[in-house]
Amino acid sequence: MIQDEILQFLKKVPPFQFLDDQVLTMVVQNLSMEFYPKGAVILKQDSPASDTLKIIKKGGVKVSVKSKDGEDVVIDYRGEGDTFGLISLMGKERQKTTIVAVDDTICYLLNKETVYRLIDDHPPVTEYLLQSHFTKYIDKTYGEMHSKSLFYGSSDHLLFTTLIGDIAGKEVVTVPESASIQEAAREMAKHRISSIIIADRNKLPTGIVTDRDLREKVVARGRDVSDPVKDIMNLPLIRVDAKDYCFEAVLKMIKHNIHHIVVIKDGALRGVLTNHDLMMLQGTSPLSFAKDLESQQTIEGLVPVSAKINRVVGLLLKEGARAGNITKILTELNDRLVRKVLEITEKKLGRPPVPYCWIAFGSEGRKEQTFKTDQDNAIIYEDADTPAKEEAAKRYFAEFSTLAQDSLLRCGFPPCPAGYMASNGKWRQPLGAWKRYFSSWVAEPTPDAILHALIFFDFRTVYGEIVIGEQLREHLAGILKDQKVFLGHLANITVQNRPPIGFFKTFVVEKTGEHKDQLNLKVKGIAPLVDIVRLFALEKGVRETSTLERIEALRSRHTVVAEFADELKQAFEFIMLLRIHNQFEQIEAGRFPDNFINPSRLSNLEKRTIREAFGLITKMQDHIIEVYKHMIL
Amino acid sequence: MAGILNFGARRKCHLHEGDEPISSVPFVVIDTELTGLNERKDSIVSVGAVRMAGPRISLGDPFYRLIKPRAALTRESVIIHGIMPSDVAAQADSASVLAEFASFCGQAVLVGHCLAIDLAFLDREMKRVLDARIENRLLDTAELFGWMMNRGLLENCDPAAPGEPDLYRLARWLDIPVSETHHALTDAYITAQVFQRFLPLLRREGISTVGELVRIGDPLGGGDRFRIKGEISSL
Repeated sequence: MIQDEILQFLKKVPPFQFLDDQVLTMVVQNLSMEFYPKGAVILKQDSPASDTLKIIKKGGVKVSVKSKDGEDVVIDYRGEGDTFGLISLMGKERQKTTIVAVDDTICYLLNKETVYRLIDDHPPVTEYLLQSHFTKYIDKTYGEMHSKSLFYGSSDHLLFTTLIGDIAGKEVVTVPESASIQEAAREMAKHRISSIIIADRNKLPTGIVTDRDLREKVVARGRDVSDPVKDIMNLPLIRVDAKDYCFEAVLKMIKHNIHHIVVIKDGALRGVLTNHDLMMLQGTSPLSFAKDLESQQTIEGLVPVSAKINRVVGLLLKEGARAGNITKILTELNDRLVRKVLEITEKKLGRPPVPYCWIAFGSEGRKEQTFKTDQDNAIIYEDADTPAKEEAAKRYFAEFSTLAQDSLLRCGFPPCPAGYMASNGKWRQPLGAWKRYFSSWVAEPTPDAILHALIFFDFRTVYGEIVIGEQLREHLAGILKDQKVFLGHLANITVQNRPPIGFFKTFVVEKTGEHKDQLNLKVKGIAPLVDIVRLFALEKGVRETSTLERIEALRSRHTVVAEFADELKQAFEFIMLLRIHNQFEQIEAGRFPDNFINPSRLSNLEKRTIREAFGLITKMQDHIIEVYKHMIL
Repeated sequence: MAGILNFGARRKCHLHEGDEPISSVPFVVIDTELTGLNERKDSIVSVGAVRMAGPRISLGDPFYRLIKPRAALTRESVIIHGIMPSDVAAQADSASVLAEFASFCGQAVLVGHCLAIDLAFLDREMKRVLDARIENRLLDTAELFGWMMNRGLLENCDPAAPGEPDLYRLARWLDIPVSETHHALTDAYITAQVFQRFLPLLRREGISTVGELVRIGDPLGGGDRFRIKGEISSL
């Protein structure tokens, strides 16, 4: 009955609440309990590491670190149900923080062996523990640890510098397609692995079966274990190359919502990479964030989760992530958030009367979001075949978009001041109307039309029937073919925004106002690059919307891009990263993020790189002027 | 904490029994339920115990056994601990349970609240069925309580309350949850927690070795013993 009480306590405490009774009983059997009077030093910085994971049953502790001048800086408080001691337990190093009881405190202590066992066998526990221990720690110390230099910044680039092949499990266990579920499970148990590959007669991998499949498809459904394992395997097999960086694997895992990914090397099966492998490498993961998001069923639940997105950026920055990777991950996370909001909205209103898709444009459409930006979205719905249906669709989407806009606002996306949102009746139209919009903008390139084209042509389907979005994209490619006049107008706008380099190669900065002596990175750096690459992409009918992806797609199709692809990507990544860093620092300092930097605060190397980027922009613009010379005003 | 460890390490070369620092010593906290308090007639109904490693209570391996008592369960005792004659009828006899209990305790320091009573019964029964004696070092939390009261260490303890350190009242005062009373295992668990709370207070008074601890917590230590026993006997 003593153990029963502890069991009940653990069932209310993450991550233990994720475990079933059998595992929990094992946990309880390895617990001890200790009492720390108020003021007691439980763990001391630079003393031997903790020998147990401590779960606070009652009371609370404060976590502090010694700053350079010897002062204790409190970085965190932990209360009932929180844990501490994990990092030092796992790190084998000296204790990195000092932990003091702020009240009479009782802790359950879990021994090292059991912690390791849980970490080995239960990835959700690992994720939770690592996340709760690392994010807090890193968040708070980021400001101090953050090095000013962007080039020689932090040392642990892990996710972005570690090859998948370096950390993927090297042992590959396979069973033939003819094996039964039980035989496969036996092999998994024998090798103590959480997944197994199914191979065909030629030893080529055809599918994968994981613990989750055994749980969900076999045990939960009472399926006969003598059935062929083929029946429960996952298809298609999601794979990554051993030569890719771990970050690629993270992205695929988030996308497909899986925890095991097959690693291929030189065309042959090389191993399996698990979420757990990545966690161990990385500490905290965007993946666990994505999962957190996925488990929410209400807008109320989404709000606190979405507030954590900035944290992910901090972490990625610290790991020395490239800008393209940061925005890619952020886009994936923001997309998930939006999808979840829409899903919940659909649940509230019922199924829509006609199929539709939700599109994003602007930076969201280009997958270049940094911190939360304005809502830029619209709805395309299928053309209704009867007036009654059309009327029903109109009513439904009006209500739908209003609800969605409000929910997105609550999740931290402010409404677009210019009203480029689905809640604006103009941007909530059947496919036919959208096609007409696009056609008219191309046919009559008035200043308004050009503005709309710049905004909407970077659209991307985020939710709903992808086919509808594809049809509009198809239409756009069709109407742009040989539209020299329209492209000329775009070209004209693209070359108007010249880089701010003075005669003596100095930066031209804002002369007056709030941002005196500052440089607007978005307007002067990112926007021209985006515009140049968009123009090239529209010229060649490239379907990608992200600037980096467009460059990649244009490499083989556009002679100028073929020559300057690497420089363009580098310039874009550099300015983007500078901007993200700057914004993150502003957020950390409690200010509202903007796009202004003071060039005099940059290192010489950074200044030179920006100058080179501006030089490249000038070169591209000169090329455009040459091509469209008769149209440039 | 580190200071104590260093202190222990420095003296390791001539460490003898009693000098071990409290933080490294195994304790077993015990409690028994009885058919009554008459040492001649009554016998043990159940034994509960939890281990401690220094100040850490081990939660995974508690000991709890019912014993088929020699004496009939009296109506009074059934009311107190709720163990019915039918519960114990099928249980093992005391020989096997006590052998198990002895091996559970090993060389650990035995801790109990008003330990002398439990000890009297355990000792007699051990001698009778196993021809063995309990030779472990002993520690009584009621004695520790008295020692600390006399030194004014328990400042928040209600001075108006009588000196008799009833376990449940002590638990309530220390904010230790009491979910069930007069059950050998939960009582042992409560006692362990009481003992756990005492340790930092005692350490502040310079009590850092087991030797000092068993001296002030000797269950047969003071004249108080008989008074307490008498009061409980008159229940």
